[in-house]
Amino acid sequence: MTAYIIRRMFTGIIMLIVMSMVTFLLFFSSPVNPEDFACGKNCSPALKAQTKKALGYDEPVTTQWVKFAKGVFVGRDFPDDPALKESAPETIAECPAPCLGYSRTTNSTVTEQIKEAWPISLSLAITAFFMWMIGGIVFGVIAALRRGSIIDRGIVGASLVFYAFPTFFIGLFLYKFLAIKWEIVKIPEYVPISEGGVSVWFQGLLLPAFTLSLVYMAGYVRMTRAFVLESMGEDYLRTAKSKGLAPRKVLYKHSMRAALTPLVTMAGLDLAGLMGGAIITEQVFNYPGLGKLAVTATRNFDLPLVVGIVLVLAAVVIVANLVVDLLYAVIDPRVRVG
Amino acid sequence: MTVPVTELESHVTAPPGEEPDDSGVQKVAGRSPTQLALARFRKDKLSMAAFCVVALYVATALVAPILVKTGVLDPLTLHQDLLDVNMGGIPKGSFGGISADHWLGVEPGTGRDVLSRLVYGITWSLFIALSATFVAMGIGTVLGIISGFSGGFTDSVIGRAIDLTLSFPSTMMLLALSGVAVAFMTGTLQVPAGDVANALYVILVLGFFGWPGIARIVRGQVLSIREREFVDAARLLGASRGRLYFKEILPNLWAPLLVYFTLMMPAFISAEAALSYLQVGVKPPTPTLGNILTDSINYSVADFVFFFTPAFLIMIIVVSFNLLGDGLRDALDPKTHR
Amino acid sequence: MAINRKPIVAVAAAAVVSVSLAACGGGSTSGDGGGSSKEASKGGTLYYLTRTSAEHMDPQRMYVGRDLSNMNRLVYRGLTTFPITDDPDAKFSVVPDLATDTGTASDGGKTWEFTIRDDAKWEDGKPVTCEDFKYGISRTFATDVITGGPNYILSYLDVPVAPSGLPEYNGPYKGDHQEDYDKAVTCDGAKLTLHFRNAWPDFNYAAASLRSFDPYREDKDQGEKSNYQIFSNGPYKLEGKWDATQGGTFVRNDQYTESSDESDSRQANPDKIVYTQGLENEVIYDRIIADSGDDAYAITDRRVPPAYYTQVTGEVADRSSLVDSPYVSYLLPNFNQMKNLKVRQALYMATDVVASTTALGGDKAGTPAKSIVAPNIIGYAENPNFTAPPEGDPEAAKALLEDSGEKLPYPIKFTYAGGTPTLDKQAAALAEGWKKAGFKVTLDPLTDTYYTIIQKPSNDADVVWGGWGADWPSIATVIPPLFDSRINLTENSNGQDYGNYKSDTVNKMIDEAAQIADVDEQAAKYTEIDDQLGKDVAYIPLELTKFYFVRGSKVTNYINNPMTSGFPDLGAIGVEN
Repeated sequence: MTAYIIRRMFTGIIMLIVMSMVTFLLFFSSPVNPEDFACGKNCSPALKAQTKKALGYDEPVTTQWVKFAKGVFVGRDFPDDPALKESAPETIAECPAPCLGYSRTTNSTVTEQIKEAWPISLSLAITAFFMWMIGGIVFGVIAALRRGSIIDRGIVGASLVFYAFPTFFIGLFLYKFLAIKWEIVKIPEYVPISEGGVSVWFQGLLLPAFTLSLVYMAGYVRMTRAFVLESMGEDYLRTAKSKGLAPRKVLYKHSMRAALTPLVTMAGLDLAGLMGGAIITEQVFNYPGLGKLAVTATRNFDLPLVVGIVLVLAAVVIVANLVVDLLYAVIDPRVRVG
Repeated sequence: MTVPVTELESHVTAPPGEEPDDSGVQKVAGRSPTQLALARFRKDKLSMAAFCVVALYVATALVAPILVKTGVLDPLTLHQDLLDVNMGGIPKGSFGGISADHWLGVEPGTGRDVLSRLVYGITWSLFIALSATFVAMGIGTVLGIISGFSGGFTDSVIGRAIDLTLSFPSTMMLLALSGVAVAFMTGTLQVPAGDVANALYVILVLGFFGWPGIARIVRGQVLSIREREFVDAARLLGASRGRLYFKEILPNLWAPLLVYFTLMMPAFISAEAALSYLQVGVKPPTPTLGNILTDSINYSVADFVFFFTPAFLIMIIVVSFNLLGDGLRDALDPKTHR
Repeated sequence: MAINRKPIVAVAAAAVVSVSLAACGGGSTSGDGGGSSKEASKGGTLYYLTRTSAEHMDPQRMYVGRDLSNMNRLVYRGLTTFPITDDPDAKFSVVPDLATDTGTASDGGKTWEFTIRDDAKWEDGKPVTCEDFKYGISRTFATDVITGGPNYILSYLDVPVAPSGLPEYNGPYKGDHQEDYDKAVTCDGAKLTLHFRNAWPDFNYAAASLRSFDPYREDKDQGEKSNYQIFSNGPYKLEGKWDATQGGTFVRNDQYTESSDESDSRQANPDKIVYTQGLENEVIYDRIIADSGDDAYAITDRRVPPAYYTQVTGEVADRSSLVDSPYVSYLLPNFNQMKNLKVRQALYMATDVVASTTALGGDKAGTPAKSIVAPNIIGYAENPNFTAPPEGDPEAAKALLEDSGEKLPYPIKFTYAGGTPTLDKQAAALAEGWKKAGFKVTLDPLTDTYYTIIQKPSNDADVVWGGWGADWPSIATVIPPLFDSRINLTENSNGQDYGNYKSDTVNKMIDEAAQIADVDEQAAKYTEIDDQLGKDVAYIPLELTKFYFVRGSKVTNYINNPMTSGFPDLGAIGVEN
């Protein structure tokens, strides 16, 4: 088991390195010049060259990557200008390890930016996760138990319809009517628990989390329903039933456990993906998590921020993959790690 | 199950690890005779209805370009005389300016015929989704077969490639690379600018981030098929690798691939819409369901007909494809329950 | 400066006098032009909702009109400022702010003198000094740290220039050739003197419009890191941190005294001003129209989207305002592609500005423009070459095109900054008009890459879109930046001259204009240049953008000040308690 974990972590690290190289190459060799964005208007070629140098884009991509990689471990200074550090040290932004770069549009280190946005995306992801898991499993089980009835059809149909409308349509629709017109829920806004307490925090993210959970719920309703039905047909359950166990007991003791395994896999990975920010939902609700940060960064051609976010998100997914694999092994002993 | 691969909120969905995923799609065995499956499918009323709707959309998509060419449909000509200039250019008359000439009214601001734009938009949306699906299935199938059949080093390289692709935050990459990649395609590769380049970008990127799921499924299938007698027989008879892969193995994969296809299509149709909202993809005046919806979403009060129809059309096609996929899976594998 | 359609584009302050001020609102009630009847009241919290985040909060780096005037009212006082007015026909004027008067020019506009007030204080209680001004102005020279802001001072200040074209003085951080700067900008007690190379007759207008000449405290300067650090000398100060994407909150600055500010431009009515950035326009208007809770105390600088015009009736119309903005949008024929004058003339004749404006939302979105210069700018005149009716004259255009000797239909590619449905509709409307005259149009919408692509001299577009507003109320901030080929055209870029226009006649006239010390005479020269540009069809004017806003019902003393770009004037606005 330990050997397996070490091996997986090792491949994970290799993957991150490869990924950082690919991302660097893609963005830093692009035909769009970030200095155009930074230089402003009325920018003479001399001024543009100066800006490019200040941004550090005058060096070859490989050098930039090496500097980046070094920064992750030992930190860096921005701008990397010894003369300036000598004459005006207060203007140098220090970026301590793990340094993922310095974002010029937000004027702070990428690490700092991600650290700030992360709890916001995490709040959203976890709240949405609970909403769709509870909703998905409850409705899925009800649908399975009432198989073929109006209730079953209603649940499955409704969840599919919600899934089928594009997220931004549902999000804007709910925003407009639930929050603004009818004032049923608060206008979405992130308030950290430390500032407003749990209740304010929750009210502020209710709508985006609900929107997000609607997107995912369909899959879970249908999956839960299918697995419950399937496992109810399996031999050991038939045995249990013929032994005279109450149907409810059969459901909880046996079906649920069997259905749980693949659900955990899917849930874990969905949650991991979401932790990196729900781009559309955050955009619609102006929710300042990683997704919104990512959109802003790409629109402003803030390359260090873009690269930083890509790498952090990738790392999350890689770790989540590992965790899910391990969980899988714990829940279902038939799966052997290896 | 729904395939949220490109739902644009979840970045990862395919189960992890080297073990083939044992849910849903996987269960399809190539063994079951087509005739039987067809008969089962025909008996399923809901699936048949879904099939008819999908067929209708496909027919529309095929006929629309001809109708546009012959002038029956006119998605481009302006009719600003039908608009109320003092009211932000919304159509005169009720229900979005519905008239004998314009069955679904006209577009605010330009007076272009909404019906024509929607019908032609279906062509573009389906074309993009279909092409992206083919790209994903092409890459996924080829790599899946190679991976499953050769095992060993090749297998693990492809396995890592799958993990790497899945770890990329795909929505963000799609967004961040769009300007850069389109500029590269039109500049360096001499792809015609405009619709062609924009559509190609969406197709390639959706396809690229969609293949891993298929590769895993195919690999799983191949692992079980390759031990079977007919493959051994072919190998003994000295069949070449290529022949083994594509003549012996591929025909046994059509069932799971077909199911996956019907689930991937709607995911990509939604993805096109979501990308339009993020300003990526084919731009007006060329209509797609996504770029029409991006505009219409704001008219919930001013012009309800224009607001509702694009969203409704997307919802219907996505639901239908999903139901069709479920139906096909059930028909091909009677063991699953719905 | 360009209109803020994309991140690269910055919009600076300018002001506007509307030619005809339509009463706004769709309903029977009459709305108002730029002002609200409700009397100002002190106290309360004002909410400022907007979409585009401020790129910079550093006075020397700010370049967006809205931010320049808002921050001037709240936190950054300058040498001079614009008075509060809602009279759309008001002539531009400046009033002294941190200086005791509006400055004295001598030596034909090459030397300017200001005396700094002795009673104004920074938020930590220290007085604002002449040295603070000198330091602030020097920051723009640090082109490796202070990027993105207006850089006029680099070409005006009388300091030696290196072969690269940039001054040898490289700002306070590295301080090479500091002695050059110390000679050009001097402090004698409270007396600030600036020496320019060329005449700058309206420098005090530039100082009111831009924040580049505002003071900066050396001990608070952290270069790049200071971008969002606001150190105030105005009636408000920042509470906590400014969030680059979300905004921040301003509260009263207790070190600010009314007696130290005789500009009458800062009533400072609300106790608190809360900025929320990053909201979609539709969401902003859903909220303001619903007018519930805090949103009743909200204002915005975003225009009402056309889809919402129908909702601005009755009570909502009473809360609306409709004024001219200082922003003109226009088309530029690409002179590398469209070399035939007759073809350019035909393109102009075929341009249907009415259809284009209708696509943008109609008469509340814009009015046809008659020049690239906004009507309130000194030196504005209707360009005599643009005589076609606003809806174009396809017949005349066709005749011109047939006369041009080119093969018909004449293929053109129109590259524009797309990405929003409205802009795409505008392009389609324009294309429709051109088609009628015998052009074959290919539309090429670009989003993020727009400026990168059209700035390439090799770009094969025939027509591109552009937008610009003056940096300060002078035609000199419109024509040279856009059409002087010497400062724009280089091997790899066409600068702001997206049409690759190159005329020795125009360049020569620009040089002549730069030598004129009298504001009005100089303006008259520029009007002549505009005429020449019209003859060459160097540009085709589209519309003068209209500002159509709605505010919350509890907002008082609401003013759209034509001198501060037509945006809501934070110096005047208050809220009910």
